[in-house]
Amino acid sequence: MKKNLGVYICHCGGNISDYVDVEKVRQAIEHEEGVVLAKTTMFACSDSNQKEMVEDIHQYQLDGVIVASCSPKLHLVTFRNVTETAGLNKYTYVHANIREQASWAHSDDKEGATEKAIRLVRAAISKSRYAEALYPNKFEAEKAIAVIGAGMAGMKAALSIAEKNMSVVLIEKENTVGGHVAEWGSLFMTNEKGSELVQRIHNDLLKHENISILTGTEVVSSKGSIGNFTLTLQKKHQPVDNLRETMEINVGSVVVATGFDHYIPQRGEFSYLNNENVISLPDFKKLTDQSSGKTLLYNGKEIHDIAYIYCVGSRQSEGENKYCSRFCCTSTIHTAIETKKKFKGIRNFHLHRGIRTYGKQELLYDEALQNGDIFIQFHDDFPPEVSFNGKKTSLKVKDLLSSDKELVLDTDLVVLVTGMLPRMDQSIGQLFKLPKGRDKFYNEIHMKLRPVETVIDGITLAGTCQGPKNISESVNSALSAATKAFSSISKGLVETEPIVAEINGNSCVWCGECLKACPFEAIEQKEIDGKIIAVINKSVCKGCGMCAPVCVPNAIDLIGYSDKEIFSMIDALVQ
Amino acid sequence: MTSFVKKNAKILVFSTEKISDPAIDMAGLLKLHYPPTVYTITVPCSSGIKPNWILHAFEKGFDGVFIAADGTDCVFGESCTEKTGKVVEMTHEKMKQNNLDPARLRMAALCSVCSDAFVRQVRSLNEYLIKTRYSEK
Amino acid sequence: MEERRKKIEFDALVIGAGIAGGETALNIANNGYKVLLVEKDHSIGGKMILLSKVFPTLDCAACITTPKVSEIARHPNITVFTESEVTSIVKKTESLFIAKITKNPRYVHVEDCTACQLCEKACPVSVRDEYQFGLVGRKAAYIPFSIANPKAAVIDLEQCTLCGACERVCPTHCIDFTMETEYFELQVKTVVLATGFQLFDPLKIPRFGYGKYKNVVTSMQMEREIAPTRPYHTILRPSDGKIPDQIAYVLCTGSRDDSVGNPVCSQVCCMYSMKQAQLLMGALPMADITIYYIDIRSFGKGFEEFYQQAKDMGVNFVKGKIGKISEKENGNLILRYEDIQEGILKEAEHDMVVLSVGMLSNQSVHQIFDGEMLQFDSLNFIWQSDLLGSPAKTNIDGVFVAGTASGPMDIPDSILSAGSASSEAISYLIQH
Repeated sequence: MKKNLGVYICHCGGNISDYVDVEKVRQAIEHEEGVVLAKTTMFACSDSNQKEMVEDIHQYQLDGVIVASCSPKLHLVTFRNVTETAGLNKYTYVHANIREQASWAHSDDKEGATEKAIRLVRAAISKSRYAEALYPNKFEAEKAIAVIGAGMAGMKAALSIAEKNMSVVLIEKENTVGGHVAEWGSLFMTNEKGSELVQRIHNDLLKHENISILTGTEVVSSKGSIGNFTLTLQKKHQPVDNLRETMEINVGSVVVATGFDHYIPQRGEFSYLNNENVISLPDFKKLTDQSSGKTLLYNGKEIHDIAYIYCVGSRQSEGENKYCSRFCCTSTIHTAIETKKKFKGIRNFHLHRGIRTYGKQELLYDEALQNGDIFIQFHDDFPPEVSFNGKKTSLKVKDLLSSDKELVLDTDLVVLVTGMLPRMDQSIGQLFKLPKGRDKFYNEIHMKLRPVETVIDGITLAGTCQGPKNISESVNSALSAATKAFSSISKGLVETEPIVAEINGNSCVWCGECLKACPFEAIEQKEIDGKIIAVINKSVCKGCGMCAPVCVPNAIDLIGYSDKEIFSMIDALVQ
Repeated sequence: MTSFVKKNAKILVFSTEKISDPAIDMAGLLKLHYPPTVYTITVPCSSGIKPNWILHAFEKGFDGVFIAADGTDCVFGESCTEKTGKVVEMTHEKMKQNNLDPARLRMAALCSVCSDAFVRQVRSLNEYLIKTRYSEK
Repeated sequence: MEERRKKIEFDALVIGAGIAGGETALNIANNGYKVLLVEKDHSIGGKMILLSKVFPTLDCAACITTPKVSEIARHPNITVFTESEVTSIVKKTESLFIAKITKNPRYVHVEDCTACQLCEKACPVSVRDEYQFGLVGRKAAYIPFSIANPKAAVIDLEQCTLCGACERVCPTHCIDFTMETEYFELQVKTVVLATGFQLFDPLKIPRFGYGKYKNVVTSMQMEREIAPTRPYHTILRPSDGKIPDQIAYVLCTGSRDDSVGNPVCSQVCCMYSMKQAQLLMGALPMADITIYYIDIRSFGKGFEEFYQQAKDMGVNFVKGKIGKISEKENGNLILRYEDIQEGILKEAEHDMVVLSVGMLSNQSVHQIFDGEMLQFDSLNFIWQSDLLGSPAKTNIDGVFVAGTASGPMDIPDSILSAGSASSEAISYLIQH
């Protein structure tokens, strides 16, 4: 049992103290058993408070520290490090979340929020009385990284790792590298061609001996965890043969760069597939990139009047895709400008819901306006109607900019500006159990504190698989992810949390249930002092706790989640 | 006639560190309100929750227990769903033996952004518990 | 005649200790390299540490910035110079840059200062507080702000009357008026420029009345009113201290505006304005907030949902550019605009107006490169020589750019840009 506990209750600059009476919480717990110091603080995470905590630990000879503040996702590690700096074992630190799970969740009931905060802190104090010194597992890491997906993000991530003198395996399920960008012509904002950009990055990759590029290859299974992932790879197209050729690679960390899919409009959506003159933005871009000659032709017809309908498949109020796809306004305007430059007699009509050419991309919007492009804004709830009058494709739209005047446009071609979707092929996400955000793209842990990491240690996200981005933004995210993946294993040694299961040999009667329950083969049958019992292999145990509930004589506890700890927390919460 | 104020039920939630607890945090972030008598204990995986913890909670005065399970998102693998189901089954057995209404224990899989689902679950459990508690009197 | 320069050597030089510079320094340092982080201001943390909450999650800015700032200050591989400026950089070889650094005197020995604030209380001089953007005053002997790092006093010698009161009350005797400017000559192998941005000065748009009408403020001033380390305990309007209830936001102040020489979009103002609007609705439940906009740019992850949230909370969005602002006798303001949806000219009365000012380039590195010169784009931001292939590269090999020094961007983008720049810098260090 601990004797000297220090408790810090954070105002969080008002985020907590606006709803929870932090002084009342402090008074309620300052005489709890073991508590020798109870303070409130404006920002527990601030430098000055961290320094004060170290001083307090020395001055009051604290052997346990509790901070009641925001979610542990933000600062558990910060406060653990503070206790370590002061000479304590960092696993004796206990955290209470009284922001997301008290003040914010119950901002409608200040009394209730305060009462809950008191109980949560009491529970943390109870747990702290049992907290023991623990030592992380250290083991050797494989100094190699796998990058899954060889689009712009994947290639740049691989390059970044290779430049740091580490081995990298770049795995791509298609037969060529370059992803979507390889298929595109002129790109904004530099007008460099997509195929040329991909070519030069590919050339950069080829200069490094420590990169293996495996095209036409898929990842079919994964075992292990950070420092030691074993990925099974298989060639995508096999000759008719029972023996599927597979290979295994061992890597220390993985960068997921699987990219995005284009939204494909449904049949009938703005007459898509019913009218051959309605095409999607990617198809339009391919058309203009690949066509030559002075006039733009499509299906034998001359194209002069082009209408672009924006936000198709994005910002849907009724549909699944509520998000903005970020790149499309700029891409469409850029394509419209290039089309007008390349072909004769082009007139562009942009039917939009607000043009989002953010940042320096605004200059393209200016240029299109100077070129004489017409911009018509429609209400979110009244999209344009597309019909065919025998000769031309006609659009009816209410123009917000001229007080809802109804306009009718006769056009040769209608381009549906389609956005980005998460990949239909979710096999990599399922393999690694990557959580998804509300928009169904893979989710990072925290947008500002940990923007490229996932909850799976050792797996980072690069590029559009995390959310819509343009090329520069994808490259920035890829380099960030690669550096994170590199740093986590570059020293050749990885530390993992020491949370493992423990079996009480005296109570164990060897029924074998725990061995059956463990998915990681971390339990072995051993003879100890003439008795046959179950024993945990600590270096394999992942700390899930699945073995604990199935043990008939209740001989198994997960470190940090023992019966006595959980019971004491329950008692503190309900008293 | 004095008006009868129904007190909220005391509910213990077991959440998982990487999956359902972020959803509960998000409910707070989005200010989706739920009763302040809902308390959370976070564990690594829902399949590691022991039936004796749940029974202890009822014994000590909790009205209800909700397991915010990992579901198929569980980082420890596929068997989590089945095993969490088994935990609930084992606990229900013991609850019946002790004459406890098995409906006081609920379980649902929550993804890491399923904050709406979390709030609905605890509010609905709260209402059930209030109804049965007062109708028992 | 040049002072004698102290010679120092590091692996990397990072100029600017805002979020981008800080993140860059941490990434490089975490990989075992020695970093010198130079900041011209008295505290690290840049603009981010002064913000209230950040979009779209409404995390408190201080909660995110202070631990990073703490990590930087404690990192064994990072040395921080505050009140310092790089005056020249010359590239000698592929792996050698020589930089000249001037460290201005703070007149306080930081290691001995306990931030007790007794000097502040004793000082007789009051001046405009630049950290609160003029909302309140500060003394000539002052701690920059409560979460500054280093948390130590500064003597503003230009305003100081040399009365010595601060020196007499200081319990640790750390105030030292004999401190002198120090000069350094630095050898490094790589440089990252993270010098940030400058806010548009609305004095350049006289028809908005900024500077003339007291209740027309900038978004940064409003940010300070809302922030937890704010000067007042509530939101007040400057002319009479009244709590406002009819607040207007004027978007695109100084952006998308050829007439003031800035035709581009500043990328963050739509989002920060609706963020402030939501916070104001929380702090002043009876208030009416109206945002006058051209286009709402809520393009990032979670941004569109944030915009919907603001609409659901009751924030009014009116499409129309403000033509002119005039003042009534009671301090209220009349905004004249064309309501685009209705197609008519209107005038609306508000008791406080917030100008959502944009991000411009700041000219801090424009004169410092000698020999091989650094290139800038048409808007005076640092030019990205390979925008699509390597966005952190500049025209000089070994010199990289992070954050808003290359163009407007929000905090998540700045952090990723810093990740990119530090990745390039680390690769550069390994390869040379």
